[in-house]
Amino acid sequence: MVNPTQTAPQAANQPRPEQPAQQPKAAAAPGLTYQPNVDVCDCGAEVMLVTDMPGASAESMDVCFEDGVLSVHAKVPQRSLPGRQLVQEYGIGDYRRSFRLGEGFDASQIAAEYRKGVLTIHVPRLAAVRPRKIEVRPA
Amino acid sequence: MSLIPFRMKRSNGMEPANLTTMTDFRNEMNRLFEGFFSRPLMGSSGPSWFETGEPGQWMPAIDLSESGGEIHVRAELPGIDPKDVDVSVSEDRLVISGEKKSATEKTTDGWTHRESHYGSFNRAIPLPEAVDPAKVTARYDKGVLTVELTKSPTSTSRKVPVLTQ
Repeated sequence: MVNPTQTAPQAANQPRPEQPAQQPKAAAAPGLTYQPNVDVCDCGAEVMLVTDMPGASAESMDVCFEDGVLSVHAKVPQRSLPGRQLVQEYGIGDYRRSFRLGEGFDASQIAAEYRKGVLTIHVPRLAAVRPRKIEVRPA
Repeated sequence: MSLIPFRMKRSNGMEPANLTTMTDFRNEMNRLFEGFFSRPLMGSSGPSWFETGEPGQWMPAIDLSESGGEIHVRAELPGIDPKDVDVSVSEDRLVISGEKKSATEKTTDGWTHRESHYGSFNRAIPLPEAVDPAKVTARYDKGVLTVELTKSPTSTSRKVPVLTQ
């Protein structure tokens, strides 16, 4: 379900994953809360976050952006297998993780989709800061 | 996680952002201990109730229970197309295998930070009792695979009398 977040060092001018930033108290879960694994990928025009959240549902998912922080919270209903538990390798609990967005992202165009237990968030860059290729013309 | 260049925030008097409350700290410690003691080692060569795949392969976490004449297995397989999952059952063993493809693999023009596991996986799970291979159902929903197995009637335990001379 989750792994400790080991962050790879990035260059100073690149987005850098780090531990969750802040959590809205209003949505504090009574039970355990898990920090989902996330892949962050620079796709040029946007940054894509791919978050493993098995067992959640799109309806119970709350993705919000406030004060520069993109927060993801998913409620996961308690589901226990019937009968005598012989093996239990992962716990059931809500997912929660936050991402602080830096300058240069267009927060109004953030889009998210949930499919096959994976939440994918697209964070587009502002047009002014998107990398663009300069064509070199022959003289 | 932050999407800005890393900066320490001690200068403005703020506390480290990742431990804002004691509740967060407690939850994180619970999670770490839970994972450390409950997950089998990947590629372990020692005797294990659960056989692993090739060293270096990842394997999904599972839950297993039994009730009455049934055995229930649940595996976390987020981001996997059900068509890429193979579930096979012999009398006393359930094998879940497949491949998880990376959604970010095609990106070549930038950096990638990766925490999820990708590639093929193969997990053979010895079952506590023999099952009927013809009576197995598997269902994939929201990244969770649930397999229901029916115990074989011949596998019912019986009392063995102790003979005396």
